[in-house]
Amino acid sequence: MALFRKKQMAKDESYYLASQWTLMWRKLKRHTLAKISLAILLVLYLGALFADFIAPYGLEEFSSVYKDTGPTKVYFTDENGKLCRPYVYKLEKFNNRETWTVEIRENTEEKYYLDFLVEGQEYKFLGLIPSNLHLYGLVNEAGEADRSARINILGADSAGRCIFSRVLFGSQISLTIPFVSAAISFVLGILLGGISGYFGGFLDTAIQRVIEVISAIPSIPLWLALSAAIPPDIPVSTMYLYITVILSFIGWTGLARVVRGKFISLRNEDFVMAAKLAGVSDFKIIVKHMVPGFLSYLIVNLTLGIPGSILGETSMSYLGLGMKSPATSWGVLLKETEDLVTVAQCPWKMIPLIFVIVTVLAFNFLGDGMRDAADPYK
Amino acid sequence: MLKYIKKRLLLFIPTIIIISIVIFFIIQLPPGDYVSSYVAALAAEGETFTPEEIAAMRADYGLDDPWYIQYFNWVKGIVTEGDFGYSFEYGRSVWSVIMDRLYLTLAVSFVILIFQYAVSLPIGIYCANHQYSAGDYIWSFIGFLGTATPNFLLAILMMYWIYMATGEVYLGLFSHDMLQNGLRMEYLPEFLFRCLIPLIVIGTSGTCGIIRTVRAQMLDEQVRQYTLTARAKGCSEKTIIYKYCLRSALNPVVSGMSGSLRTIFSGSTVSAIVMNLQIQGPVLLQALKTQDMYLAGTIVMIQAILVVVGTLLSDIALAWLDPRIRFSERG
Amino acid sequence: MDNDTIIEIKGLKVNIKIDEGTLTAVRGVDFEIRKGETLGLVSESGCGKSLTSKAILGINDKKCKAEGEIMFDADGLGRVNLLKLNPIGKEIRSVRGKQISMIFQEPMVAFSPMYTIGNQINEATLLHITKDKAKAKEISLEVMRKVGIANAEKRYDQYPHEFSGGMLQRALIAMALVCNPKLLIADEPTTALDVTIQAQILELMKLLQKDFGMSILFITHDLGTVARMCDRIAVMYLGRIVESGTALEIFKNPQHPYTHGLIGSVHKIGTKKQERLYSIEGTVPLALNLPAGCGFYERCRRRIDGVCNVYDPELVSVGGEHKVACFACTGCPGAKEGGKG
Repeated sequence: MALFRKKQMAKDESYYLASQWTLMWRKLKRHTLAKISLAILLVLYLGALFADFIAPYGLEEFSSVYKDTGPTKVYFTDENGKLCRPYVYKLEKFNNRETWTVEIRENTEEKYYLDFLVEGQEYKFLGLIPSNLHLYGLVNEAGEADRSARINILGADSAGRCIFSRVLFGSQISLTIPFVSAAISFVLGILLGGISGYFGGFLDTAIQRVIEVISAIPSIPLWLALSAAIPPDIPVSTMYLYITVILSFIGWTGLARVVRGKFISLRNEDFVMAAKLAGVSDFKIIVKHMVPGFLSYLIVNLTLGIPGSILGETSMSYLGLGMKSPATSWGVLLKETEDLVTVAQCPWKMIPLIFVIVTVLAFNFLGDGMRDAADPYK
Repeated sequence: MLKYIKKRLLLFIPTIIIISIVIFFIIQLPPGDYVSSYVAALAAEGETFTPEEIAAMRADYGLDDPWYIQYFNWVKGIVTEGDFGYSFEYGRSVWSVIMDRLYLTLAVSFVILIFQYAVSLPIGIYCANHQYSAGDYIWSFIGFLGTATPNFLLAILMMYWIYMATGEVYLGLFSHDMLQNGLRMEYLPEFLFRCLIPLIVIGTSGTCGIIRTVRAQMLDEQVRQYTLTARAKGCSEKTIIYKYCLRSALNPVVSGMSGSLRTIFSGSTVSAIVMNLQIQGPVLLQALKTQDMYLAGTIVMIQAILVVVGTLLSDIALAWLDPRIRFSERG
Repeated sequence: MDNDTIIEIKGLKVNIKIDEGTLTAVRGVDFEIRKGETLGLVSESGCGKSLTSKAILGINDKKCKAEGEIMFDADGLGRVNLLKLNPIGKEIRSVRGKQISMIFQEPMVAFSPMYTIGNQINEATLLHITKDKAKAKEISLEVMRKVGIANAEKRYDQYPHEFSGGMLQRALIAMALVCNPKLLIADEPTTALDVTIQAQILELMKLLQKDFGMSILFITHDLGTVARMCDRIAVMYLGRIVESGTALEIFKNPQHPYTHGLIGSVHKIGTKKQERLYSIEGTVPLALNLPAGCGFYERCRRRIDGVCNVYDPELVSVGGEHKVACFACTGCPGAKEGGKG
């Protein structure tokens, strides 16, 4: 009995003794929308991680026949209307003798079957293990991988490349740049805003002026100048590191201003004075006593910062300032849909937009869930 | 309070000077200058220049001086003669190029700013008061969708939908007829309709951000002890929300105001290109690309000064809103 | 409820919904307060005394659900159960601040930093007494003077951050008294203040009580203050009243082991150096999934195994007004029922 009671007590006390983060996590698990968002983001990031494997085609694999064609039609029934193994027909160029135009149409004589783990372009799995297996692909009647027919489940772009593959490769950049850049601006914002608000005086004035200058300059000339300063012939990975830094260099000022304001109103509070008198170091006072006081605001800011950078990247690419083809990102993909004609004629090119929207929404909902969870006793 | 404002005003001038230096430096940062992009453009058409001709052109425009000399000459021109320099691209003075579009740009920007706050404040308050209600979810979702869509795509999509619905393409703020026949009352409805698209396209992205900030702040304030005191006093929920919570929640909203202005300037550039709006964004982008530096520099300066003034105003508003800042002697 | 009683609380329960389940923080509390008296509600932190007091005004958090009866003779409403009123409705608001008002533990955060003290005090005046602004200000200023705020006219236009803690508590008292309430709930009003200021505030409250002729529900964990302020005392433990009686009865002849512990842990002048201050072992358990039996069982020195952890003791009179809920003091329930225990 006594043992049982003791266990009971331990369980009760765990509620009191749980750290702020444990409590937040418990709360977050109850926020359905946040949980779904977390799952979606996980899937997207896994997709980026295993892009080489999941994508049926490589980054630059194209087929001029498939230029500007919509999603490949997959048939589930044979000629007699009976259910069968899913297959597709190859597209071929065909000269229409009546209108004297070249048409693209399906060659219904040969079937190509959908299969899993099909051999394709060589790549290095996770950048380490050489492989040529892809999650899915087409095989001919004999069961051999056949590259002459293509399956573009989301259609093809103006160069005849598979949009789905490119979305996956694009996510490797579009999902990582914003993360790094939001993290950098987050740290810069809290640090400089905190110093400015906490210490005041000369440091405050200096940092305030820097913020004022940076935040007064509209971002387009900043982007343009800074990205023009990047040498054009550097490798893609270095290029996107630069872009990251550019984005975060601009992003931190707003947060810093808010943090400063909060610090000014908090630093006169008694609990800060108490900590000071107890000999707690300034750094510890900031991190342990002041920041938790407006953590929820910071979290909203951080989770809003990530989608902000994703959108920033699309704008940069749209203006031709970001990544350049053949390297790809979601922004580069969306650049194809820059006019009304494309939207009207090739609506499938808008599909990458869905990925952008879903990702941005997922980050927003996750942030929302975390905001509500940041106040665990409520 | 007065002292605070005075101090801020005194800091205004050095800030502007620093900003102008930074802007000028950034604009000339990309390799090459207007002459090299001009020569490259003409070379594409088959015309070539001798190195002597190119050097002569540079000397003509004063482009062979180091950048700080160019900067100094530019500022000297502005201060002594009100001359903002010469636009290589347009072949006339920068000021006349800017005046073409200045009023429209300002009008569009401020209307969008007002639109953002007018829409998002009430929605944010509503969402906080009805946390987890259907309305909260619906508004949050609409707001999210607005921010989640890149501006230029939203513009394209909206124009596409309007095209599908009406069969007409609405590009720009003025129709062909309007430009030909001048201002007439009968064009007003169409003009307003044409304004609506950029308003929604450029405004929505910021709106959601403000909704979220207001909602988060209001929720934070609602659990403060002073709301309990007010309730114990017998105040109605309305008083508690509007007099107490809202007042405290406004601080971060106000301090974010100048940031919104800057976002509008940048956001409107991209949308303006898509929608062919007669505002400064596209001119600026073109000027930056061709390195028409005085034109670019002046446009960026005007926008920067507006943002700085906006910051100043929002800081003063902030100080005025919070008595703890208002009565302390800090700047 | 005789004519002397102004508020009577019966079977008050407060449930809090938390993620782990429903936590019953107040588990059936009965007491009444008479005209002009001061009732002290004493316990450690986390025993539900603040929740009890907020339940009277209906200002608990949305997640707290109060059950039971709080009967109050309200002007204009007659005898009503305050719990039955709409918590944001007009009726309860006419009671709050006017007939029952409350002062809080931490005066520093009880005022909004955005408005002047005068504005916030005057709000109560304008709500309940008069709509005439000049008159209201006059009334508010007078109360401010009464609670000992010197230079009231100047102070009226100052902001909370310009006040000291003690002054803010005075202002808070002024705000509570401005409508001349029948009952003042004081939720640990001196805990956040330093000792000399504490004494001043307590004296002030006593003085004002005579002046205004109101009753006070005084909530505290400090027996020293209780001895000074209260006519009657109710000791709470884990959401229940475990002992109640007049101040004299409780201090002279404490029955419940918990009361003993509380009195023993107060520092008295004249104790010998070597004597250690008594402390009750353990902490108050969380009122979630409480086991059967007396709540104090785990920490009790006089517990009777097989009784105290099986049956729940009820308040039983031990003479006069003195009641106690303890088997060790009043005998085992089994014995009464015929020796089954």
